[in-house]
Amino acid sequence: MKAIVIGAGLGGLLSAARLSKAGYQVDVFERLPITGGRFTNLSYKGFQLSSGAFHTLPHGPAGPLAHSLKEVGADVKIVRSDITTVRVPLKKGSQDYEKGFKDISFTDFSTLLSHKDRLKIALLIVSTRKNRPTGSSLQAWIRSQFKDEWLVKLADAFCGWSLSLKSNEVPVEEIFEIIENMYRFGGPGVPIGGCKGVIDALESVIAAHDGKIHTETEVLKIFVENGKAVGVLVGEEAYNADLVISNLGHAATACICGEVLSGEKDSGYLKILETLKPSAGIKICLAADEPLVGYSGVLLTPYAKRVNGINEVTQVDPGLAPPGKHLTMSHQYVAPENVKNLEAEIELGLQDLKEIFPNKKYEVLLTQSYHDNWPVNRAASGTDPGNETPIPGLYVVGDGAKGKGGIEVEGVALGVTATMKKILG
Amino acid sequence: MKINENCVGCGQCASFCKKGAIEVKGKARATDACIDCGICVLYCPVKAIEVLV
Ligand SMILES: Cc1cc2nc3c(=O)[nH]c(=O)nc-3n(C[C@H](O)[C@H](O)[C@H](O)COP(=O)(O)OP(=O)(O)OC[C@H]3O[C@@H](n4cnc5c(N)ncnc54)[C@H](O)[C@@H]3O)c2cc1C
Ligand code: SF4
Ligand code: SF4
Repeated sequence: MKAIVIGAGLGGLLSAARLSKAGYQVDVFERLPITGGRFTNLSYKGFQLSSGAFHTLPHGPAGPLAHSLKEVGADVKIVRSDITTVRVPLKKGSQDYEKGFKDISFTDFSTLLSHKDRLKIALLIVSTRKNRPTGSSLQAWIRSQFKDEWLVKLADAFCGWSLSLKSNEVPVEEIFEIIENMYRFGGPGVPIGGCKGVIDALESVIAAHDGKIHTETEVLKIFVENGKAVGVLVGEEAYNADLVISNLGHAATACICGEVLSGEKDSGYLKILETLKPSAGIKICLAADEPLVGYSGVLLTPYAKRVNGINEVTQVDPGLAPPGKHLTMSHQYVAPENVKNLEAEIELGLQDLKEIFPNKKYEVLLTQSYHDNWPVNRAASGTDPGNETPIPGLYVVGDGAKGKGGIEVEGVALGVTATMKKILG
Repeated sequence: MKINENCVGCGQCASFCKKGAIEVKGKARATDACIDCGICVLYCPVKAIEVLV
């Protein structure tokens, strides 16, 4: 059996590893000279920056991606990060960090609430595990339960950091699925070697099973015969296969299917694709001689104007920076209406960093922004349309087709697992 | 080379330019150090860089 994978992003390579291991003859076609898509390293001034991700797996060594990597025999060491902390103003009532701040453990967030709200939270933590809230956004749900804006700020920082969304854009169902996954798999971790550590390990598995990865090779068209996907067009050459997996997201995949997907029977599917909104974000990469954060956990910054959170990956893998240096990266959500003002948004992020790290010395290495066709997330979490398409034999994997409750690459892994279950049984 | 409106500002091109000739802030911009070698064109994920002929 032959399989073709379009795109060598994380979802594409994970699928290729699974299929080649299961005995398929696999060809992966990647348009760029490099593999890994938004999940690989970019060497810059001696630092290992990344093409997208923060060198972080949201559920670390016990999450769905780690599990999938183990399953295919990909050799990656993933180190669990320290506990997530939250930077809060020193003075109660303060709305920024200017007059001082302290860091509290994420799990202690309720200590900043009134006694009554603290009790309510304790009860809700128990009751919502049985009766999950539904039918609203996370923000609307919080406001329906509490009068305290601190919780909304915290929710925005968490959603901004982990999903590049605001809490009023995230369905409450999705957040409770994520919370359940936190209980199940634990918090984030960093793969040794960064994102590329994962990509290299997957490529070794694919090579060991005679799979082939062709770089600088763009797929122009997906061939469909008798309603079924049968191959792809690369340059002027046609390649046949029993199975086609696309790593491009549903919308871009539909584009290269051409007129096959225009009939009345597909109108429902095409309508769903129109509603998909990729999420936008900005990453600012800092270099420093002395640590800025000082531990490997995520630092959430709910009182900053734009920055949602920061991590310092060199606390886990010093190899991601030149000897003696630290690599610290911040993430900020970008609202759809601000995508046209990225320069101003970046400026606000840079001002935030000055407030978050007063009296610290650092250099801004690179600012990186992501939106539209190269976004943080192709389908905003909770809106993913699944892995199947109206065309039998054509599946979509990647962050445009994540599994439920899966934050970013964990969602990619859950989506690949669901796809493989359909294909391999 | 010319950077068109497809550019998202991801900075990928800057990391592959051997001349350090790309600055990025929301969008990429080539500086005077650019020698028009065309290497960065290949690495842009959204086809935003065009070589001028
Ligand atoms: C700023 C930022 C921070 C992030 N932080 C994190 C994080 O810390 N943790 C986390 O888990 N996730 C994070 N993410 C998300 C994560 O990076 C993505 O979810 C993941 O990399 C998406 O992988 P994918 O499988 O969808 O493939 P993609 O990375 O989208 O790869 C698709 C590949 O297909 C190729 N391609 C496109 N068209 C064609 C064609 N026609 N023919 C051949 N090839 C083609 C592309 O060149 C690309 O290589 C972050 C993303 C960003 C942008
Ligand atoms: S690689 Fe392309 S999209 Fe990214 S900054 Fe450079 S020109 Fe813009
Ligand atoms: S054309 Fe060559 S020198 Fe100019 S920016 Fe691109 S890679 Fe750098």
